[in-house]
This record gives sequence, C-alpha cells and structure tokens, in this order.
Amino acid sequence: MTKPDTVVEFDRALIERARRGDSRAFERLYREHVGRVHGLCLRMTRNPDLAADCVQDAFIKAWKALPRFEERASFSTWLHRIAVNTVLEKRRGPSKAEVIVEDPTEYEEPVLTFDTPVEEEELEAAIASLPQGARDALLLCGLYGYEHSEAAGMLGIAVGTCKAQLHRARGLLRERLERGVR
Amino acid sequence: MTTRQVKRLDELAQSVPPARDLWPAISAAIEAEKAANATVQGARRPAWRPAAALAAAVALVTVGVYIGRAMTPAGGPEIAANAQSGGDVVRTAFERDADYRKQRDVLMAEVQKRLQSMPTAERDKVSASLNTLRRSITEIEAALGRDPANALLQELLVSSCQEEMRALTAVREAGGQET
Repeated sequence: MTKPDTVVEFDRALIERARRGDSRAFERLYREHVGRVHGLCLRMTRNPDLAADCVQDAFIKAWKALPRFEERASFSTWLHRIAVNTVLEKRRGPSKAEVIVEDPTEYEEPVLTFDTPVEEEELEAAIASLPQGARDALLLCGLYGYEHSEAAGMLGIAVGTCKAQLHRARGLLRERLERGVR
Repeated sequence: MTTRQVKRLDELAQSVPPARDLWPAISAAIEAEKAANATVQGARRPAWRPAAALAAAVALVTVGVYIGRAMTPAGGPEIAANAQSGGDVVRTAFERDADYRKQRDVLMAEVQKRLQSMPTAERDKVSASLNTLRRSITEIEAALGRDPANALLQELLVSSCQEEMRALTAVREAGGQET
C-alpha cells in the first residue's frame, strides 16, 4: 500500500494546486487514481454502469471536499473511502442484515493463497458470487490491502464484524472455487 | 478462452480502467460549480441586505423546484439518432419546457439591464462567470448527446440550469439593491 516518496510528493503538489481551483491538476490526480477506484467500485457493485456512476460521483465529491483533505492522510485511501461511501449510498435500499456470529478465536491473515493456480476470470466470478458483506470485506482487506480497522471504518461496521466477514468470505471462496461455481 | 492464473488473491489487478473516459462529465460538474460559486459571490458583493437575500432565496427555490419538475428526460433513441446525425449542435437529452425558456429569457433581459448599471470591472466579472456557466451547460448538453442515458449527466444538467437561474436571480436582486 505504500507508495514511493517521489510519487507521494507529486500527489501532494497536485493536491495543493487542485485545492487552489486548478482543475487540470485534479485531472492528473483523476488519471492516476481512476483505475483503482473503478476496480473497487466495479467489484463492489458488479455493474459497469453503476460503477462508472459511482466513480464520477466519487471524484466530484472529492473535488468539493478537497479543502477538508488532511495532508497527513493518504490521498488514495481518502479517495477510496469516498468511493466506498458512494457505492454504499447507491446500493438500492437497505442491505439485508447479514447475521454474523463473531468467533472469539483469532482470524487468519487477510492474504489468501490457493493450493493450485486459479484462472483470474474464475476467481473474479467467484468473488462476484459472494454475499455483499463478505465480498466488501474480502475486496478491501484481501485485495486492496486495507487493515481491518480501515476497512471497517469505510464500511461502517465493527472491526470484529469485518474480521468475521473476511473469514466467511475466504471459506465461501475456497468452497466455490473447488466446486468450480461461476 | 483462458486468462492469467494466480496463486494469491492479491495478485489480481487492483486497477481496472473504466470502459469510457469519465473525466468530461466530472470536469463539466466541476466547472459548473466553480462558475456558479464565482457568479453568486460576484453578484453578492454590493450592499446585499437580508430582505433581498430572502427574496432571492424564495425565487431561487421556486424556480429550482419548477425546473426540476418541468424538465423531463426525452427519448433516448431519438437523441442518439440526433447525436449521430452529425449536425452542428449536438442535441440535449432534455427537452426544455417552453415556459422555462420564456422565464429564463425574461430574467436574462432584466439581468442585461442590471449589468449595464454596474461598474465596468464588476460587470465584466459577472458576465464572464455567467458565460462560463452557460458554456458548462452547453458542454453537459453535448456530453448528454453522446451519452443520453447517463443519469449523472441528467442530474447535472438540471442542477446546472438551477444554478444558472440562481445566479441570474442573484445578479438581478443585487442590481436592485444598488438602484
């Protein structure tokens, strides 16, 4: 998740210019970050049109909120937080409450490895088939590398719930990959 | 067709570029907001009193609600056909109500009179902001012509037209305070 200092400095310079109203600087930030933001939105929504709407909304919100961006924070994380919020807002209706029984035992590390190599396409399909809450936790912690506390904050859930959702996601994912479910 | 194989979840690409460039719509939204802010700030500078602010706010809400209700999405295929016809002007994805246009024309005429009575520097600034706002609306309309089903652009067009009416009302009211 850490970026080279020069990249961070470059981002900071662009952010400063964008804050002063320079939309070209903001466009540079958009070009640099849009892929990751879109990747996250697409996987969370499973709908290309909705994902594109979320990305547009997220960047417009980011532009408006730039004066409130704290320089100590990571711009990428801040942007992802806005994007996740936007996706959550756009999901139609309240999400069905998924009952998670929290297990007091330690959960395994977020990094998920497979015994045998898996086709990317098959893996994406298996992720897309996961229940919403489990999928969100898996994407943020397992793919985008966020800590449980960060992911829980973005999703508006307790850290324990996030861990439980990730645990559940891993189990379901392995099960579905073994069965070859698409 | 087979795709790349991975042994870890985090070997999947984090970055997935969108199928189309989303920047034009984002840029249009940003420019519209910048122009609206600049116009309202410019128009408010001279002797702005609470009564006038209240009058403007009431007019603004009325007009805003009116536009929001009066502007309805037009048929997609027709717009797409227009966009592909290669005409000089890409048609908007919205059809404006005749009453809205009439109301805007009346307001615009009043604003032009007010502008004449403003100091040159102030007038130039307000005119430039209004022109930028109008250009933003034209850009959004053009973008909608290319992508008629884009809900964000549709919302953006309505809100930008509302912003324009708000700005025009603010200029008119501000002028009223000076005379």
